[in-house]
Amino acid sequence: MFFEKVMYKIILAFRYLITRPIAYLAVLAVFLCVFTAVVVMTVLTGLVTDFKQKNRSFVGDCVVGTESLVGFAYYEDFMKILERSDFVEEISAVIKSYSLVSPVGTERSVGVEIMGIDPVKHSRATGFGQTLYYRKNDVSKAFEPIYDANLLGCVIGVDLMLMRDAKSRYFYEASPRERAFSVSCFPLTARGALAKAETGMVNTKIFYYSDNSESGLAREDGSMVYVPFEQAQLLCGMGGGAKRVNAIHIKFKPGVKLQEGCEKVSLLWRKFVEEKGSETQAYLFEKVTVQSWKEYRRGFIAAMEKEQTMMTVMFGLVGITTVFIVLVVFYMIISHKSKDIGILKSIGVSNANIIILFSCFAFLVGFFGSGLGVVVGWRFLVHINGIEDWLFERFGFQLWDRTIYTIGDIPNQVDAKVLAAIILSAIAACMVGSLLPSWQAAKRKPVETLQVAQL
Amino acid sequence: MLKLFLWLRYLRKKKIVFLSIAAVALSVGLLIVVASLFTGFINVFEQSAVETIGDVVLTPPIKFGKYPLFIERLERASAVEAATATLSAQGLLYVSKGDVRRVSVLGIEPGRRVKVTAFKRSLLKQKESPGEPSFEVADYPESVGGFVGIGVLAEPDEKTDEYDFDAVEKMFGQRVVLTTGTVIEDSKQEGTEGAGRFKRELVPFRIADIIFTGVYYLDNTFICLPIDELQKTLYPKEDVQIADQIQIKLAGDVDADVAMAEIWGLWRVFAAEQLGWGPYLIRETSVKTAKQMQSQYVAELRKQMGVLLLIFGVVSFSVVVLVFCIFYMIVRLKQRDIAIVKSCGTGSGSVTLIFVGFGVCVGIIGSAIGAVLGYAVTKNINTIEEWIRVIFGLKLWKSSVYMFSKIPSEVDWSSAFAIVLFAVAAAAIGALIPAIVAARTRPVEILRYE
Repeated sequence: MFFEKVMYKIILAFRYLITRPIAYLAVLAVFLCVFTAVVVMTVLTGLVTDFKQKNRSFVGDCVVGTESLVGFAYYEDFMKILERSDFVEEISAVIKSYSLVSPVGTERSVGVEIMGIDPVKHSRATGFGQTLYYRKNDVSKAFEPIYDANLLGCVIGVDLMLMRDAKSRYFYEASPRERAFSVSCFPLTARGALAKAETGMVNTKIFYYSDNSESGLAREDGSMVYVPFEQAQLLCGMGGGAKRVNAIHIKFKPGVKLQEGCEKVSLLWRKFVEEKGSETQAYLFEKVTVQSWKEYRRGFIAAMEKEQTMMTVMFGLVGITTVFIVLVVFYMIISHKSKDIGILKSIGVSNANIIILFSCFAFLVGFFGSGLGVVVGWRFLVHINGIEDWLFERFGFQLWDRTIYTIGDIPNQVDAKVLAAIILSAIAACMVGSLLPSWQAAKRKPVETLQVAQL
Repeated sequence: MLKLFLWLRYLRKKKIVFLSIAAVALSVGLLIVVASLFTGFINVFEQSAVETIGDVVLTPPIKFGKYPLFIERLERASAVEAATATLSAQGLLYVSKGDVRRVSVLGIEPGRRVKVTAFKRSLLKQKESPGEPSFEVADYPESVGGFVGIGVLAEPDEKTDEYDFDAVEKMFGQRVVLTTGTVIEDSKQEGTEGAGRFKRELVPFRIADIIFTGVYYLDNTFICLPIDELQKTLYPKEDVQIADQIQIKLAGDVDADVAMAEIWGLWRVFAAEQLGWGPYLIRETSVKTAKQMQSQYVAELRKQMGVLLLIFGVVSFSVVVLVFCIFYMIVRLKQRDIAIVKSCGTGSGSVTLIFVGFGVCVGIIGSAIGAVLGYAVTKNINTIEEWIRVIFGLKLWKSSVYMFSKIPSEVDWSSAFAIVLFAVAAAAIGALIPAIVAARTRPVEILRYE
């Protein structure tokens, strides 16, 4: 009985789809929309996901830090607490400040951000080690120039040093050239005042180019210079008395959820602040926050996510046309199938079942249209980089100018969630489009549609 | 007359036609908004460059002296209205306790600069004052004054992306310290503090005014000092006035290529005679219009606009399908009308024209509505963005991301016109096959009694 009730709907739905060529147009419209949406959203999602991964790799899982250049004190005690905890895998204290860097022997100078790190610890807590070129396999020597291990090295953001070609590849040399850079910082007291107000006001030190860091983040690669932790601490005036840092980057043990881990760190931090409340530089804790990598880099990530949202909204708007097409196609089919509907109703089929029948038909239109769109879109994405290469070789066209944007290949990994959302939206759009015509069909009386004059 | 009558009748009787009008309107509106926002952004980008650095920029490979003489020669040329020199450096600015920023330092001549750029408009305090802007600081006549970008002193509000101007204005007269540097000849042993050929120089100064251009990068990066003061700091041993760039405003009606050729000629003579430069240094001097300097980014932006319009254009192809469906349905339902019209002697060509013309009408009405919609959205885009912020708490436009503090809201009429034409053509194409089907209708088959 159930089989009979269901089967005729499926058979009729398939029959309408196959025998009414006009239905192919609805399938075509759905295909077009789905194809474009799959390609655009895959590329966009790929870019956002890649950007997020690079940010996470740059930051680690969690950051205890302050935006103030003064930093905060007693960090060593808190690091001991973190080391003793069972959910923290690695931690890295970091100095962050601005400095004026100039290649020795030139008149040029550039304002950059400096980051003082212990390369080994920082590579364990973040993906720093993987961003190096010459010392990728021996991070402990990141600040030892290959040409003279006795010199004090610095790792320079790749965009500050090297040019990119049209395929986003940097022109690395076999080994780094011997180059010296003079790095100057304003040393600040714990109160934020200039530490050397009566003398030269700035600290200057010479560092030698030892490696490049290619994090894939345009801002960081174009403005960051990494120097040994202790040297940065001295340059910024954070080394004397109660030593200070600007941040502690934390990596959680495998299996620790991000939110859960951050909450635990936050709890430990609050306890620590209470314990240290009577210390002379406890006031520096006021500006310290505990943030997950997502919160810490929110300003950058949010911009890309918003663009993704805007693109989705625009596709939604354009997709309304597909709803219109399905509506018109169904209206046409129903107006031609009034006799079928009359016969079905005359043998006892209910209004609800008529609506279900046409909804089934709409589902099939959406299913086949989106299926086709997904398959063609997927094939297009598989070859998208090849197509871009071909276009570049023949016509000099690139989707993004790689000398401007730090984008490598066009992302083409289809995200199952995105795909499911697009397919479901397309099917839902078809079913919404079919609703009004189905309702009108269901309302028709057999006595009117089957009378001789109508036949 | 018959065509008009039938068009109006179909429009009135067949409400489904309004769906195709709505679809055309939606697509046209969206494409106009996208094109206008991109074009507006590009225009503002180019315009901001002209307002910041003038029409033409002359940049020699190294700094040069006697610039007042060169400016005098430039201003005598017919192609040049005014010119000004700049001296640039990089530095760190100590603003207040715990607040140090990296900055780009520009030594400027404020009096001349206002003749070349829209500099005065960006000064919070002096923009309404008569006369030339000045570095003088009220209450501190002996102090060196400087202009500081608003973004160097404060961050825009996280939610509204607006600066707290009241708080910023309290910083007028505040003492800040710039550290920058210059090359010294007597280098000491490298690797020790304070050593190196690059010698740090400190310039304490007071904030005479605050720069707010609305361009995030400029507001967030630049400080301006008197060019003479910066020269004294960086190159104290130089006995002539030096600069590293000349910014030029062209005379109103002069062709840019002609003007650049004239400027080149003047520079060649000046560099050879006055500076004693050889052909290499002269050849390495760059003379470019502000637009040429931005051309790589503008080309990239135009390409992205093209790609986006192509994507939405492909999706909007559905409009052709929709018009086809609707017209096909009308033709099938109105076969008797068509047969009667043809039996009265109307030719197949005329019948085709009825439906193609109707398609064009749908395209015109739809794209007219779309154009109005696109115009309204574009013109009010900042208000709409503010509503979205207030209602959903989502700040879509941030100057730190999109460079400018306001979304460009000028409609790109040339793109709008092209989009409208495209939409009308799409509607006509969609109506074409149904129109041919209608034209092939044979009255004898439709009107026979059986």
